[in-house]
Amino acid sequence: MSTRQAEKSSPDAVETNPRGIPKVQFVENVEDFIEKSSSTVEVTLNKFQETVAKYKFMEVNFLSRKKALELKIPEIKKTLTVVEFLISNQESNKPIETIFELNDTLWAAAKAKSTKTIYLWLGANVMLEYTLQEAKELLENKLSSAQNSLNNVVEDLEFLREQITTMEVNTARVYNWDVKQRRIKRQAETS
Amino acid sequence: MRMLNQDDEVDAEVTWEDQQQINSFSKLNAKYSDLEEAYNAKKQEKEALDDLSSELELVDEDELIKYKIGEAFMSIPLEQAQLRIEQEQNFILEELGKFKEEMDSLNEQMGKLKGILYGKFGKAINLEKD
Repeated sequence: MSTRQAEKSSPDAVETNPRGIPKVQFVENVEDFIEKSSSTVEVTLNKFQETVAKYKFMEVNFLSRKKALELKIPEIKKTLTVVEFLISNQESNKPIETIFELNDTLWAAAKAKSTKTIYLWLGANVMLEYTLQEAKELLENKLSSAQNSLNNVVEDLEFLREQITTMEVNTARVYNWDVKQRRIKRQAETS
Repeated sequence: MRMLNQDDEVDAEVTWEDQQQINSFSKLNAKYSDLEEAYNAKKQEKEALDDLSSELELVDEDELIKYKIGEAFMSIPLEQAQLRIEQEQNFILEELGKFKEEMDSLNEQMGKLKGILYGKFGKAINLEKD
């Protein structure tokens, strides 16, 4: 705990976003930056490229997480609408006439008695019985937490994008500075 | 991001403030395209619902409608089906409105940033969509 605090208060500590993704350094002045880093332009550019690659790697990861959540959310919503339909149907003693998918492309008609409990597939080969009200609450919780993580992922993606843009601008500026530097040198030699 | 041509070179130093503005522009731009996609998808959904509701006008009143809820078709009275569609339509309309509002505000913010950044960097920066 104490070391963590020390890290936080030290001025050299890397700034991060709320979920610990480090912030890149912006190059204020190219000349100073190259001088201070005591390495050649080429090495610096390579380092920049490496950093961009790392961020892009993270971006790919987050994009796939975003996709997974974007699939999961409608699934939960769908289940929730069925539960809500069953709840609205609870009072009537008429059975629900339904056509359901028995297998891929194979449908069958069924009459379902109105029910007070349903079974939710929780994953890992586990199914649990819930009352309709409980199921509704559970699904609503799941939905809001999924939406929450989606918001976080979107925020992280925006953050990553910013870091990548900063690095790209850094790269362009160091590169341009180098080109200019070489030109000045060349002109000095020819004249 | 495009490298500078010698002729376009502008001797403007990029400050941290500029960088932040470039970053926000890039962020807004990405957000805008996401929204645009979502908006168009919703719009199609809405059109499908509109078709549905006019189609349902032609249905016999005491006929049961097989309405897809979740993965299965439930037989429900016409009235209920219409109510469900109506609710769905209202919900989508509301969402479309929200999206539109957000897109307009993004556009406005991007326009402002464009003005500032083009003003400073001229041709050295490219903020147009590919």
